[in-house]
Amino acid sequence: MLRRKTLPQLIEELRGNENIINWHEIQPQESKTRPMPGSVDPRIKAALEKRGIAELYTHQHTAYETVRKGENIVAVTPTASGKTLCYNLPVLQAIAEDDGSRALYLFPTKALSQDQKSELNEIINEMGIDIKSFTYDGDTAPAIRQIVRTVGHIVITNPDMLHSAILPHHTKWISLFSNLKYIIIDELHTYRGVFGSHVANVIRRLQRICKFYGSNPLFICTSATIANPKELAEQLTGQPMRLINDNGAPKGRKHFVFYNPPIVNQPLNLRKSSTVEVNELAKEFLSNKIQTIVFARSRVRVEIILSHLQELTKNEIAAKSIRGYRGGYLPNQRREIEKGLRNGDILGVVSTNALELGVDIGQLQVCIMTGYPGSVASTWQQAGRAGRRHGEALVLMVASNTPIDQYIVQNPEYFFDRSPESARINPENLLILVDHLRCASYELPFKTGEPFGPSDIEEILEYLVEERVLHRVTDSYYWANQSFPASEVSLRSAAQENVIIVDQTETANVKIIGEMDRFSAMTLLHDEAIYLHEGVQFQVEKLDWEHKKAYVREVDVEYYTDANLAVKLNVLDIDKTETRRISSINYGEVRINAIPTIFKKIRLSSFENIGYGPINLPEEELHTSGTWVELTEVDSSIDTKTLEQLLLGIANVLGHIIPIHVMCDRNDIHVVSQIRAEHTQLPTIFIYDHYPGGIGLAEDVYKRFDEIKTAAKNLIKKCPCSDGCPSCIGTQIEGLNAKRMAVEMLGLI
Amino acid sequence: MSAFRDRFNRLRGEKADVSAAATADTVIDAESVGNVPAEEHVGVKDLIVEQSDSESPPEWLPYDVRLVRNEMGEFLAKEIRYPLDYHHGHHSFGEWGEAVRALTAFHGDEQVMGAASAGTATASFVPLRSDNVLFLDLETTGLGAGTGNVPFMLGIAYFEGEHYVVRQSIIRHPAEERAMLADLKARLPQFQYLVTFNGRTFDWPLIQSRFIMNGFGSKVWEPLHLDFLHPSRSIWRNTLVSCKLSYVEEERLGVFREDDLPGSEAPGRYFAYLADGDPKPLLDVFRHNEIDMLSLAALAIRFGHLLAGRIGSAVPMPTEAEELVRTGLWLERMGEETSAAPLLANVRRVTDASPSVWNRLAERDKRLGQWEDAISLWNKAASSAERSFLPDWDAHIELSMYYEHKVKDVPQALIYARSALELALEQPLSGRADSKRRKEIDALRHRLDRLMRKAGK
Repeated sequence: MLRRKTLPQLIEELRGNENIINWHEIQPQESKTRPMPGSVDPRIKAALEKRGIAELYTHQHTAYETVRKGENIVAVTPTASGKTLCYNLPVLQAIAEDDGSRALYLFPTKALSQDQKSELNEIINEMGIDIKSFTYDGDTAPAIRQIVRTVGHIVITNPDMLHSAILPHHTKWISLFSNLKYIIIDELHTYRGVFGSHVANVIRRLQRICKFYGSNPLFICTSATIANPKELAEQLTGQPMRLINDNGAPKGRKHFVFYNPPIVNQPLNLRKSSTVEVNELAKEFLSNKIQTIVFARSRVRVEIILSHLQELTKNEIAAKSIRGYRGGYLPNQRREIEKGLRNGDILGVVSTNALELGVDIGQLQVCIMTGYPGSVASTWQQAGRAGRRHGEALVLMVASNTPIDQYIVQNPEYFFDRSPESARINPENLLILVDHLRCASYELPFKTGEPFGPSDIEEILEYLVEERVLHRVTDSYYWANQSFPASEVSLRSAAQENVIIVDQTETANVKIIGEMDRFSAMTLLHDEAIYLHEGVQFQVEKLDWEHKKAYVREVDVEYYTDANLAVKLNVLDIDKTETRRISSINYGEVRINAIPTIFKKIRLSSFENIGYGPINLPEEELHTSGTWVELTEVDSSIDTKTLEQLLLGIANVLGHIIPIHVMCDRNDIHVVSQIRAEHTQLPTIFIYDHYPGGIGLAEDVYKRFDEIKTAAKNLIKKCPCSDGCPSCIGTQIEGLNAKRMAVEMLGLI
Repeated sequence: MSAFRDRFNRLRGEKADVSAAATADTVIDAESVGNVPAEEHVGVKDLIVEQSDSESPPEWLPYDVRLVRNEMGEFLAKEIRYPLDYHHGHHSFGEWGEAVRALTAFHGDEQVMGAASAGTATASFVPLRSDNVLFLDLETTGLGAGTGNVPFMLGIAYFEGEHYVVRQSIIRHPAEERAMLADLKARLPQFQYLVTFNGRTFDWPLIQSRFIMNGFGSKVWEPLHLDFLHPSRSIWRNTLVSCKLSYVEEERLGVFREDDLPGSEAPGRYFAYLADGDPKPLLDVFRHNEIDMLSLAALAIRFGHLLAGRIGSAVPMPTEAEELVRTGLWLERMGEETSAAPLLANVRRVTDASPSVWNRLAERDKRLGQWEDAISLWNKAASSAERSFLPDWDAHIELSMYYEHKVKDVPQALIYARSALELALEQPLSGRADSKRRKEIDALRHRLDRLMRKAGK
């Protein structure tokens, strides 16, 4: 039997691989520590020493001292830098000093809450202080809920539970709210977009209730690396924040490698499947017994890669030592896998982004990403899974065929040079704000002049009075309605009324597999549409628009569907305008009226149009914020048809590029081109937030338009196709030089 | 909106104009409608009610509802006094005196603990008296115990001298809640017991929550609670269509409501009143709440009789075996073995009942080690099950277990286990209960296998 190769040997071999298009090295860093502060209780000190923590890393030290001074903090902490101590230390110290102190921990998911509880309880046991910490979520047994409410020092929960179960019943939590010293918001960066905007309002409600009970808690937030942690934390909590980013945890050398699979179909610019390449690469490391994590973008993909890897390596290692990890696994199973990774029993794990969040799995040697994870921040989070404190680590990103992936690997400077994305929220979105004003009124009556964020809410309260939701008596607004408003507001759904997707493949086992906002459902869930869910094809058998249900059945077909949406765009209000030489860029309020017309069936292998059908659905209307570019002057040599196609091509590219730059999902922002815009009759490209009222994405596009424009030009230039492909400007444009013309036009804007 | 607000403000403005003529007494003597002097009907000592209790807002004038004012503000109240000879269904309020003491059984444990551990809060245990029990029932603006659910009507009642006094408070808008709660708070200390129907999960936690919301704190009153929903369920679960108060009172208390407003419609009536200030739609709510308060007292009387062993005299002997056995077992759980004995004896005499009745009693006999009684019941249950259309093999299993473990008669145990399996397989599997039944059948096969192995040895 051959001798096993070491990681440095494998890294050397990899350097010769012709598919590698970029090799980036991150230098090692020594640890920076400070002695344990004198104020820390000796029992806590002893418990930490038992776990090998005699000193604090610089960021932990600063976090502790700053919180002790009474300031809110947001600590930016890469994976495995000991971030939990940033909040556990001040919290445990406060309870050691005063048994009456209480703390509330917020984690974005239930799984993270569970982890935190086990970790916390281990320290607490070693401290020998009677500190009770509990998780409070849907899994908490009714019998112990009462105990959690009355005697829990530390209550660990998630924003959804806070919103729908805790705040509306705050009188049962009098002991928590009267004595609340600290609110911990972990994984701050996950609170962005619609979800983050909701959570900011939930925190306003939380603060009102604390005030009612006479407490004034400090916030301790931790975040992965994003461009604007301080701004986000301040927006989310409405409090001034101190940023802590003097990370003192040690790091070993890390190689960050971009791998682009070879082209297998020249005319269509199709590359070899990233999944196949990942299988081969991962096999090499696993059979040499090097601990490896593979990330994939969907649950189905995880299972596919997992079974391939188990098959490929079955002669070298036991199947049990390569495991999958994703949502849908039972908590016990997950705990077992996490433990196996920490103690080395498990050699390889294939995961969705579920392991991107702060679950403790120790540090692995190699991380392989199947495709670009979707954002710079997310990529760094996943990359953080590989990298021991000492010794080398390797991160491999294997690009898929999508335009975003291709853009990233072909423009490495974009990825490495720029700071990660900003996380945007808009808590003032009127729909979201009104939802939470309803919930807040249910919890405590509003007094006139009482603030709720920066907006003037008097008008809204008066409106709710008109609607007979509130009842005003002199200077107070009382809840006066039979409903329970929190149950009508979901923090995570994109729009108010979603279409539920019902899988009726098995008559005996009809199940709901997902939901989608109405606007998207028109083009993705119409009758006969092919809907992709986690990599599986479903055909829509019936879209019941009235009851907002789409009935689907699993199919295996060689085509996808593409619906035409007739969109009417009206500019309602122009907030900002920048006039340029032959164009102007604008930001304001827009109204979109959309009606789907027909759908086409397009062959997967060749993009041929192989059929079409009508869609019969009513028109939908969306009020939102948008940014639009008008061409005030057009080269007269370009005929109307060509211009129309060029605009379409550019819109296509912008649709690919913008989500990368403003950190959002592809579906959160829409790009539409018009040869003659309704309000000016000028050729225009509209970019608008796909959420009623907007969540700040279009505004971000307005602010960073030039950066986005340059990125779009780069994408077109670097695309290896001859003159347009679905990965760049599309294939609609006839004649030569479409790419050159598109780049020129972008240059002139 | 402004019309609504104008109307509301106008109402508030008019209040000041209430003339001295509005002194009509708001206390109704339920039988004679005779006016009772104010001093007498207020009765409750140390009230923070000011002198204005003869006032009534004009729109409320026809409805005998008067204005109450205290340091926290104003609200409205109506008081109705029922004489002790008043009959509500089968029972008269005069029976309360003899029924009340036995209700102490609900808190028998505290009594024992109190005696044993002097110095604790329970050491000052006070038995139920006719005048230290508060009856309570709320009408609220919504469902559940969330902080936005406001009790707009607060019904309380108590026995006082020669009367059962029902006092219903109502708030003209949410801002009056504080004054209404202050009034309640002032009345609470003279009571040690709270009687409700479903109040353990609803009315009482809600009141506690409202006290906190209105700044009165979290420990205003800590009564010993008697919630009659739970014993009602224990006894009537399988005999009545529903254990809601309205069913219990019709079927067992002889109370028939006419044109009663369903409780679920009460919030709608209140919001209508909030919108236009016309109290008329609320009259049905007053009436509904009043009957609830009366039935609550009647139910308390019935449970008191039951516990005191007056079944067959003050309370009729249940006719159905199911109710008989459930009542008897409930009385035993309440520590009233003597009251339970005649009921359980009757169950044994019954010749025809569903197997579950025999099994329920047999389970109790088994627990007490009364094997002979248990066997005789199981035998009855087994033969009844064999004749029944619905499969029930519990008694066969019990008998099989008895012969296997107690008597060590494996062949006999085998016979019962076989017939149990036959019964279980008799009815074709269908419907929702399948998986449970499959499990039971598997367990039966397991049992048979084991017995056969034993028999083979």
